[in-house]
Amino acid sequence: MTPTEFYAALDEMLELDPGTITGNERLEDVEAWDSLAVISFIALVDEKFDILVETEKLAAAESVGDLYALATRQKAA
Amino acid sequence: MATIQIQGVRVAGIAAAVPEGTRGVADEAAIFGVDEMEKTAKVIGVRSRHIAPPQLCTSDLCHAAAVRLLDDLGWARDSVDGLIFVSQSPDYELPATACTLQARLGLPDRCAAFDVNLGCSGFVYGLWLGSQIVGGGGIRRLLLLAGDVSTRRLAPHDKSVKPLFGDAGTATAIEFSPGAAPMAFELGTDGAGFASIIIPASGFRQPRTDETKALFAGADGIERSAENIYINGAEVFNFTIKRIPPLVETLMASAGKTREQYDHFVFHQANAFMLQHLAKRLKIPTEKFVLAMETVGNTSSASIPLAITMALRESLAEQPREMLLAGFGVGLSWAAASLTLDRPVVPALVIVPDDTPAMAAG
Repeated sequence: MTPTEFYAALDEMLELDPGTITGNERLEDVEAWDSLAVISFIALVDEKFDILVETEKLAAAESVGDLYALATRQKAA
Repeated sequence: MATIQIQGVRVAGIAAAVPEGTRGVADEAAIFGVDEMEKTAKVIGVRSRHIAPPQLCTSDLCHAAAVRLLDDLGWARDSVDGLIFVSQSPDYELPATACTLQARLGLPDRCAAFDVNLGCSGFVYGLWLGSQIVGGGGIRRLLLLAGDVSTRRLAPHDKSVKPLFGDAGTATAIEFSPGAAPMAFELGTDGAGFASIIIPASGFRQPRTDETKALFAGADGIERSAENIYINGAEVFNFTIKRIPPLVETLMASAGKTREQYDHFVFHQANAFMLQHLAKRLKIPTEKFVLAMETVGNTSSASIPLAITMALRESLAEQPREMLLAGFGVGLSWAAASLTLDRPVVPALVIVPDDTPAMAAG
């Protein structure tokens, strides 16, 4: 999954208009990023990437970039 | 994981009881807002739950279910020689609630009776334990009573649990039956995750004091006291994704069955989002996967027999059904069962009136 596809999947998950998430957002600025979204994100990553997101790292995530890194198990830049 | 096969035991009947009074989305919306509660209801698949009034305990709900079940089965009280009460909301720290229920139900004094402290996995654990006891000989008829009044321990403004939990009590009749189809069980535990679902001040480790009654905001910003239920939703969801697909696959392998051979999959009714994710992961067809929590919520150890009562009465009356049951959660603990339900007695859902008088407190 490319970053662009990932942002589109986040838009769909958060019920935002397509193209809303562009990858530079800080999570505290994304209003739809709440406790239900956290659970939805774990499900999304399990389904699309077959990866179990570590909850401690997810709790520490600050940006959409951090989420992409978690989903793809890449180190955040 | 422990793998177990049991011969010569059948489930003769399953009954469930709920308190009369309910709370719904509109009631919670008054506290948390309409938009948020409508969104939550959509995700968790719950629009209302039955809430026990203060004078009713889990034992009272289980008692109502057991009376109806014994009557409908036509089982003489004197023929029951075992009783297991599975709950995390007992009448007392001591004595065991099972002992009080033995007397209230008029069961004979040769009846073995004890409590088991488990929640979400508790029904399947109780089914294993009860079946193992009956299969082991000496005890021919056993009642498994499972339930909780979880709503009693929810923080007043905890939006993560308040719209989800309901109260219920159930009764399941297990009997010796030499020709019965074999049952298979898988059981497991990860106690390292004990703090993921917990009431911190609920026993001897952290005694209740004035301090434990005080509300304080947790890391998630929600105000609770140490005497309220705390659930780390993300950790519990991760635990479920990690443990439950292998649990179900292993059970099907040890039972020698494929998913196509099962008629109904009934999992602990945790929340609809989690259940739908598991069904997708396990490739279980929607029509075989029971989702029956919209009007009752998550009822802890009562959820599986309650879901059977609400969704499968007609199907079970028609012909023997191959069932796969799975419970998972608080502990962290998990259990799954593969069994045939051969036309068990399943009474309609029992409603316990809100004006039911309180039992004497002893």
